[in-house]
Amino acid sequence: MAKIGVILCTCFGEIGRVVDLESLKTRLEADPAVDFVTIRDSLCLPGDAARTQALIHERGIGKVILGACSTYGKMEFVRLALAREGTDVRTVRAVDLREGCAWVHGKDPEGASRRAANQIEMEIALLQNRRDSKDVAIRMQQEALVIGAGPAGLSAACGLARLGFKTHLVDRGSAPGGLLNVITKTFPIDEPGPEKIKNLIDETGRNSLIRFYGKTKVSAVKGYAGDFKVSLAGPEGNTALRVGAVVLATGARVLFPQGLFGYGKVKNIITQMEMERRFATGAASCKTAVFVQCVGARNSERPYCSTICCPLSLKNAMRVMDENPGAKAYVLHRDIMTPGSVLEAYYRKALQKGVQFIRFDADRPPEMRGKDQVSGIEVFDTISGVSRTLETDLLVLSTPFIPDPDATALARMLNIPVDKYGFYAEVYPIHPVETRNDGIFICGTARWPVASDQAIAQGEAAAMKAASFLGKEDLSALTMSRVPGGKLGHAVADAAACTGCGNCVAVCPYEACRLQRTGNRSVSRVIKVRCKACGSCVSVCPNGAMQMPEQNYRAVGEMIRRAFREVR
Amino acid sequence: MLGQVKQKAKEILEKKEADGVLGLRKGLFDVIHPHVFTSPTEIDTLVLEPKWLFAKMARAILREKPQAWRLAVIVRGCDERAIVELVKRNQIDRERLLTIGYACDGDQAKACLCSRPYPQKLDAGSAVEGVDPLADERVKAYLEGDAGKRMEMWVAQLKRCIKCYGCRNSCPICVCVPCKLEDDVWVERGVIPAEMISFQLIRAFHLSDTCVACGACQEACPVGIPLMTLQLSMREALKKDYNYEAGLDANRKSPVLFDFSKEPRPGQAVPDWVDSMGKKP
Amino acid sequence: MSAERGNVKILVFACRWCGLIGADGAGRKRIELPASYRVIPVDCAGYVEPDAVIRALASGATGVAVLGCHVGGCRFNDANHPALKRLELLRTLLDTTGIGGRRLLLGFGTAHESHQYAEMIVDFHRELEGLPSMASWLHMAE
Repeated sequence: MAKIGVILCTCFGEIGRVVDLESLKTRLEADPAVDFVTIRDSLCLPGDAARTQALIHERGIGKVILGACSTYGKMEFVRLALAREGTDVRTVRAVDLREGCAWVHGKDPEGASRRAANQIEMEIALLQNRRDSKDVAIRMQQEALVIGAGPAGLSAACGLARLGFKTHLVDRGSAPGGLLNVITKTFPIDEPGPEKIKNLIDETGRNSLIRFYGKTKVSAVKGYAGDFKVSLAGPEGNTALRVGAVVLATGARVLFPQGLFGYGKVKNIITQMEMERRFATGAASCKTAVFVQCVGARNSERPYCSTICCPLSLKNAMRVMDENPGAKAYVLHRDIMTPGSVLEAYYRKALQKGVQFIRFDADRPPEMRGKDQVSGIEVFDTISGVSRTLETDLLVLSTPFIPDPDATALARMLNIPVDKYGFYAEVYPIHPVETRNDGIFICGTARWPVASDQAIAQGEAAAMKAASFLGKEDLSALTMSRVPGGKLGHAVADAAACTGCGNCVAVCPYEACRLQRTGNRSVSRVIKVRCKACGSCVSVCPNGAMQMPEQNYRAVGEMIRRAFREVR
Repeated sequence: MLGQVKQKAKEILEKKEADGVLGLRKGLFDVIHPHVFTSPTEIDTLVLEPKWLFAKMARAILREKPQAWRLAVIVRGCDERAIVELVKRNQIDRERLLTIGYACDGDQAKACLCSRPYPQKLDAGSAVEGVDPLADERVKAYLEGDAGKRMEMWVAQLKRCIKCYGCRNSCPICVCVPCKLEDDVWVERGVIPAEMISFQLIRAFHLSDTCVACGACQEACPVGIPLMTLQLSMREALKKDYNYEAGLDANRKSPVLFDFSKEPRPGQAVPDWVDSMGKKP
Repeated sequence: MSAERGNVKILVFACRWCGLIGADGAGRKRIELPASYRVIPVDCAGYVEPDAVIRALASGATGVAVLGCHVGGCRFNDANHPALKRLELLRTLLDTTGIGGRRLLLGFGTAHESHQYAEMIVDFHRELEGLPSMASWLHMAE
């Protein structure tokens, strides 16, 4: 069996003064599995990686153990450096003797030395028993799919097309634009909704790389990142596509305040969308308009702020006053959320115009007055400490964005996680437009309530991320994942031993296991690209037919046996 | 009840709803043995005693026969549950199997300490109320009380194991070839009694969410180890936490395979930080 | 029955995200830990099969710790949920037999709270010291 080389690092004494590396060296040299043991002062300084690679090359060994600092210390860096020197780092294993050993057992050098010896011997067992997963190359499709043609989706599609990728833009509506299509005036400069995205829509029409499918939904997605096989169902029948990346820009819908504040029972109590409709059809005349914020939001069921309702109320309140000279407008709020200089200026504009703001507390919401139609609203003003009753003939309720049921169905189809409110889950905190699944990107209100300017920005971000994904030409199942150090391997089922019980199929978080019928039995098969090597399938397999070759059960069993071997 | 079962079996064969009926036959010299009855006249030799589980046999028979061949099985409650578990694990094709279910009587239920002595599809006999095994004093001694004393009792029992593999062989759910209990990475080979922790606990845990409390393991054990008792606390935990009982619903896989949104623990909040010692936030 | 004091051996399965980063953090803070444990890094707590825990106990480990990411924080789409459920079920079995579910520590938390991980190891070690010996389970012949 191929021998193993061991390189121990003293880390200029950080490890060396606690762990007895000389005795460790003597002990390991006596192990028939070990080819050589050498002690160095550092492995991470300039020139060290080249020295290490030279030594490995000279001794002609393929398996190396580095006894040094932790992966998050310097070992990941060292392995990358070695890879650049030409070492096959899949068989270079790092054992943490610093953060995980010397630095936590400073007062017990004997214990630390025993631990170090055991941990290195466990790693030897791993290297002796590990196997390599068979890799499979991915033919990265150079086309992208954008689902949803609102501001986010339009922006994403344009971004991708500008970089030269053929993009399929799908929307369940007949034309692009999404919610903006029905907004006659937007904040902060009152331009009509479609104006905001006119340039993007024009570009979509002009750029031949973008193909728009109206009144179309995604009916099925098979395959895997880099090669998604998508079925679209549209007015002209079904279309089959093969795309490398998918951008979800499916938007959100607005909550109906059923049962709140008399909505649905008492006349002239409406939602913001219905207010917009009244403006559009010239039916927005009133003497007084009262806007209530945070209806159905920032409560225990939906403890989030929906971002746009405050600017929205400012806009509609000012519009009511503009279109109805002499009319009064009140905004009943818990906080006015208008971040940034533009929106702050917008708020001051509303104040100067004479929109009145009354603050209430969550545990004492305003109460509607009126039987057949609204006549007033009683609110406890927390700033003055006085309860006031406002006469009004129009009550507008600001309700939050909630996930669209089509979006939820898509999430299930693509098997991507959603957060506890049902919005697509990003990889928090530093990959805001990416999901846990490779090749699938998210932007816009489907991800989180935002205004259209944010949606457009996120669309661009998603396009960039998708483009950089599509640009990876020599991707394989093993190199697919963004995981530092690469994916461990992929699980593989021994067809002869597999009983077809389906436990792996049930437990896999990526639906990477499938049952295939062979003769009169079913046998599990792993879709290598989908597998992320989490190992769940291995731990639920009743007889060990499913294994992770790089850390198979023989390796683990041997590691367990050696863990507490006597060290004198 | 025997008459009802015979009647049903004859009908199934006459109407060709199945090609064979698996049950017990009283044959030559009154020897009772499992048999696949293929003609209605044979049914006259059918008997229902003693307790015999056919689930695993049904699986083996169906594998030998061509795809179109259908089998009817005469089952008690536990046997039907075992079949449901085998169906869940794709070992038996539901389309190829029929059951003729009959109820056990009160004495049988007491002897097996069975909480559900009747199949869900009951064709003969009337169901009697089950017995709660956890109320039995002998069982309680092995599950409750001082941990140290309990450990002594279990060790005393398990060290009599002669590693005959009777428990594993007779268990209707155990079908794996190869089996971990024969792999020296998991269980030391050539050691009698069987390595107590690895052999016994690996076997018991593999059955944690799939044991149907049929008692076959206990009945097969030549030294009388209370094997069924070993499973009871895990069965109880699954019932309490997920309202799950193995062998009842062929469409519900073990809740332990799914995350908390698909298979939650109703009434129990799962903390963000989990520390089984209970000290962390 | 003699106690395990002085003879504590803990096998730790730590996931390389929250588990190992937590352990790393403890090292950086120079928090002193007993040298009674050995670590097997895994990609996810979901990889830890109950049989490996059982095997560890059968090989003489006093206790086994499985350290993973907090519920809701698993980078493998909540693969730690089934892991948690499975291992809690194993604790039930360990309790039944008198071995004691306390020998299996389940610590699923957040990476940057490394002092919590460190405390868990120290507390676990102390707790195991007080448990009765498992020698009778490990001796086969009379």
